[in-house]
Amino acid sequence: MSDETPSPKSGTEPTAARSHLPMWTLVVLLTLLYLGGIYFDHHSGWFDRQVYAPFDNAVQLEAYQPKSGAAAALAARKKSYEAVCGTCHGNDGIGKAGQAPQLAGSEYVITRGFNRLAHIPLAGINGPIKVAGKDWNMAMAAMGAALPDADLANILTYIRGSWGNKAGEVTAEDIKAIRASLGARPQAMTAETLQALPE
Amino acid sequence: MKNGFVIFLSVAAVMLLSWGALVLAPQMQLGGARQVPVLNSTDVYPLARPGTAAQGLQVYRANGCAACHTEQVQQDGVACDVVLLSPGKNPSAVSNLLATLKLTGLDEGSALSASDRIAAAGGKVETRIRATGSDIARGWGLRHSVAEDFLYDYPVALGSLRVGPDLADVGRRLPDPNWQLQHLYAPRSLVKGSVMPPFRYLFETRKIGAVPSPDALNLPAEFAPAAGYEVVPKPEAKQLVAYLMSLHTDVPLYNAPFTPPAPLKP
Repeated sequence: MSDETPSPKSGTEPTAARSHLPMWTLVVLLTLLYLGGIYFDHHSGWFDRQVYAPFDNAVQLEAYQPKSGAAAALAARKKSYEAVCGTCHGNDGIGKAGQAPQLAGSEYVITRGFNRLAHIPLAGINGPIKVAGKDWNMAMAAMGAALPDADLANILTYIRGSWGNKAGEVTAEDIKAIRASLGARPQAMTAETLQALPE
Repeated sequence: MKNGFVIFLSVAAVMLLSWGALVLAPQMQLGGARQVPVLNSTDVYPLARPGTAAQGLQVYRANGCAACHTEQVQQDGVACDVVLLSPGKNPSAVSNLLATLKLTGLDEGSALSASDRIAAAGGKVETRIRATGSDIARGWGLRHSVAEDFLYDYPVALGSLRVGPDLADVGRRLPDPNWQLQHLYAPRSLVKGSVMPPFRYLFETRKIGAVPSPDALNLPAEFAPAAGYEVVPKPEAKQLVAYLMSLHTDVPLYNAPFTPPAPLKP
């Protein structure tokens, strides 16, 4: 016990000597930080509440949303309908009093062909008209005139196939042909001119 | 003590940081969780559990089911399958193309290029997305669990130990309530070598009255009560089974996308 280091003077706290941070510690820390960054990028999902385990980020999640098939097509049609028509005609197609008549079971919708139906959004309509036994006297702008053919075809297909309506599909080519026959600035339809058209 | 105030501040900062990360951040992230639309459908998910099923959650909790069963399906990956719907006008070109292409287990990019090539040849295809992973392979679910699955549950019976199988999607896997009742009464009458304890106290063995109960279990001879007696589920057993029947995580959501298997044609 002769080589025992002398105990520090009582009354003073022991302090560590200051020395430089060793270089290897710095390198290890930065390497760990780098690897941690990679791990974070792959597994955090950037704290997006929608992003769960097998997906790395919101972009990848979006890429794996099912886009094809009958169900996806129906969902796309429904979305277009609700964006353009649903506000007045109702998302359930039963219309709204003082705004727009019903589309479910309407005699202008469930016709054999869709010629008359397609003319309404392409040219607009005004004046008195009787829809499913109720009288209306309002005006609708040519809501479909600015829509691409495919979108309007999707919307009309949705209207003709929803809420109990069981009429056939409308294709973009059909809309294109009707649009071409109408010319650049079509006159708004009335009940009479609509009735005069072939179904 | 030297630096007492600094130590106090450091401890307070550490406590605050962990509170922020473990309580505040999850609350901000998921506290506003609500019903979400089901993909490619007009439905919303989840719907509140019906009354008996909500009571069944408390039976589930009281009997410690969560000690041996989890309700969280893990998903390790996602894969796309390209399915030919119709060969179109040039079937031989499409079938030649199909022979050269890999069509299952693709990632999103190669599925897109494969379906584009088939479409260019005139075939009509659909890309189906499915979850992959060991839990999915066991048939425990069609997708991973998400926070919305537990929106109406209190407490959330996540579980952490799998002595028995995962139950997140048991209402789809085992949809027969009579099977569930018999399994609760005598697990080994249905699953050989099951280690699940029989929950006989959720049932009543009683003398058959003037008319046998319509609820009485139809047990195999080995497990059946003495002649003249019948086994009838108590309300707790019915509630528990109603809860198990309500465990459905089989709809695709934005945060757990997959293409649902085509409904069986009647």
